[in-house]
Amino acid sequence: MSSSFSAVRPLRLPPPCPHLAAYRSGGGTPLRCLHGCLCPRPSGRAEVRRDPGEVPRCASCPPAAARHGPRLYACLSCAAVSCRAHAPDHATLVPGHEIVLDVDRAELFCAACRDQVYDPDFDAAVVIALTSLSSSRLPPRPPEKRAKRRRVEYRSWAPDPNERAVIGQRSSPLIVQEGNASSTTTTTANSTTTTTSTSSPSSSVSSPSSLPWGLRGLNNLGNTCFMNSVLQALLHTPLLRNYFLSDRHSRYVCQQKDKKKGGSKEKSNVAEQKNPAGGSPPCLACDLDAMYSAVFSGDRKPLSPAKFLHSWWQHASNLASYEQQDAHEFFISILDGIHEKEQDQCKPCSNAGNGDCCIAHKVFSGILRSDVTCTICGFTSTTYDPCVDISLDLDSSQDPMKIATSKLQACKSKIESMLTSQCYGISTLRGCLEHFTRPEKLGADQKFFCENCQARQESVKQMSIRKIPLVACFHIKRFEHSLIRNMSRKVDRYLQFPLSLDMAPYLSSSILTARYGNRIFAFDGNDSDEATELASDLELFAVLTHSGNLEAGHYITYLRLNNQWYKCDDAWVTHVSESIVRASQAYMLFYVQKILYYKASQDVG
Amino acid sequence: MRSSINRPPTPDANEEPEKEPTLQEIINIKLIESGEKEKLMELLRERLIECGWRDEMKAICRAYARKKGRNNVTVDDLIHVVTPKGRASVPDSVKAELLQRIRSFLTSAAI
Repeated sequence: MSSSFSAVRPLRLPPPCPHLAAYRSGGGTPLRCLHGCLCPRPSGRAEVRRDPGEVPRCASCPPAAARHGPRLYACLSCAAVSCRAHAPDHATLVPGHEIVLDVDRAELFCAACRDQVYDPDFDAAVVIALTSLSSSRLPPRPPEKRAKRRRVEYRSWAPDPNERAVIGQRSSPLIVQEGNASSTTTTTANSTTTTTSTSSPSSSVSSPSSLPWGLRGLNNLGNTCFMNSVLQALLHTPLLRNYFLSDRHSRYVCQQKDKKKGGSKEKSNVAEQKNPAGGSPPCLACDLDAMYSAVFSGDRKPLSPAKFLHSWWQHASNLASYEQQDAHEFFISILDGIHEKEQDQCKPCSNAGNGDCCIAHKVFSGILRSDVTCTICGFTSTTYDPCVDISLDLDSSQDPMKIATSKLQACKSKIESMLTSQCYGISTLRGCLEHFTRPEKLGADQKFFCENCQARQESVKQMSIRKIPLVACFHIKRFEHSLIRNMSRKVDRYLQFPLSLDMAPYLSSSILTARYGNRIFAFDGNDSDEATELASDLELFAVLTHSGNLEAGHYITYLRLNNQWYKCDDAWVTHVSESIVRASQAYMLFYVQKILYYKASQDVG
Repeated sequence: MRSSINRPPTPDANEEPEKEPTLQEIINIKLIESGEKEKLMELLRERLIECGWRDEMKAICRAYARKKGRNNVTVDDLIHVVTPKGRASVPDSVKAELLQRIRSFLTSAAI
């Protein structure tokens, strides 16, 4: 498989062999209609439909020794069943009967070419057979079809003379203020973290002018490290940063709009409830806009995000206190706050996974797919859910010793060496993602109502990622609830994470390919959506770490700018080495897609 | 598919009375009817993936396809090449576990 990214990657369709081509153009049953001959096995894979208890056998073998396995093929034209040895004979004896169907795997085989062949119509039939109810045979419901926008080539932009004039008039250069009382020179006094000692050797490079733009400490306003850490990550999320710095949400314009709106509308009552002082309703996006301007102004003095905190308290009043909060909860709450405000501005948002409703969703929202398969009849029910982050369990449940003995036998390729890290009990992000997308047997107490069987049956659930967000936030669930002692505790287990992450194995298309067998059919509603195939390479840009326990702890964010790592510990920002970041205890990981694509504008003209 | 009229001529041997199914066939039918065969297949698949057997076979197939040239290889070729190696390299623990499962199934099915 080629690894170069060309502008358009054609769907990898093997050409049909001459016999398959002849079958398709002949008058035989169209391949797509074969779904009536297929049915799911309890495992979820497809097989050729047969009577219960019927054991297919080779029709050409002598009856005493008629083979019933391992591979039997049923002729598409005449339904004769042959074993692998006799299938070619059937093809030679009866011309036109070369295409056969593997009865246990539902895969096409050409007995004349003695090779497997692939056909998209047939694969479509397989999907129909596996996902539809046996009685009604409805095709699967695809996720809400968004208007398909074709991908366009990137064209660089240069200002024309008019635009150049505007730029000259309306902009002012940003000046880095040298010799500012920088927070970086006072690092060593920090006693709240244990990594201070290791940050001193690298402080030789933290003179103010060498720190990149936009690095500014945030003062702790009383247990607000949860807020500071998330804000640092958001302030350096490439897409959000670009959005706000290009004035896409101007706080001045937004306030004007609010003043105009303040009339006899119901919303103004709500605003008054939230803001008894009678000012404009709080807009988290405006406060964020103000913060971006302040942080990227070149001023290095630590900032106090008091206004933001106040606005957030108004939004999430149940969390408004000086108690320690969870950073992840705060993150979700901010995205929700930005979304809520944008909703007021009449943007349609029927499907949050679409991302067109607000910048928060555009950047962070993805779609998760959940498949629940009945273990008795094999019928699979699929649901799609939008998400703004992915919460992963630490995959520490495997017995390290057992895996060590069996996997050491398989230590032959690079892929295995990744798995062997589990031999020694190290959790990795990939391991957590594999755990997340593994088929999980739901317990006997969680029986799922199977529409095919019309009864509650035991089932298997599998998650996969239908659409990766532009910025993927992974939240590691580091709390464990013990039913015995009825208490929760934090899991301090170390998690290894990569700087570059390839999400391809966790996409729905990959997971389904593994489940459905050798198919070339693309399973999602938007077939051959190249965006899903190519957009699976991610780069890490922010790591949020937590030290302490569930009741009391401290959050720190590590930011990656120009491939250098910076530690943001409230008001103290320092340059650190990569090894420190790698050794830290990750709680939230932020990855951004390496390559972004432009889609044709929805506006005509 | 079963009711297609273009069936090949039935062999003469079928005119004789149906022979007694062999023990192997009886066991096979019982395994399939009870759904146990399906479960055993899944178990076997799981074990062979866990111990790296499947990845080994994949690597052998890949090497063979590379050597022969991608367009000169058929599924039949691969099966011929891989089957003996595959059968020989199944770990004993996997064999033992499956045999044990089949044995306990047989005792419970009381054949």
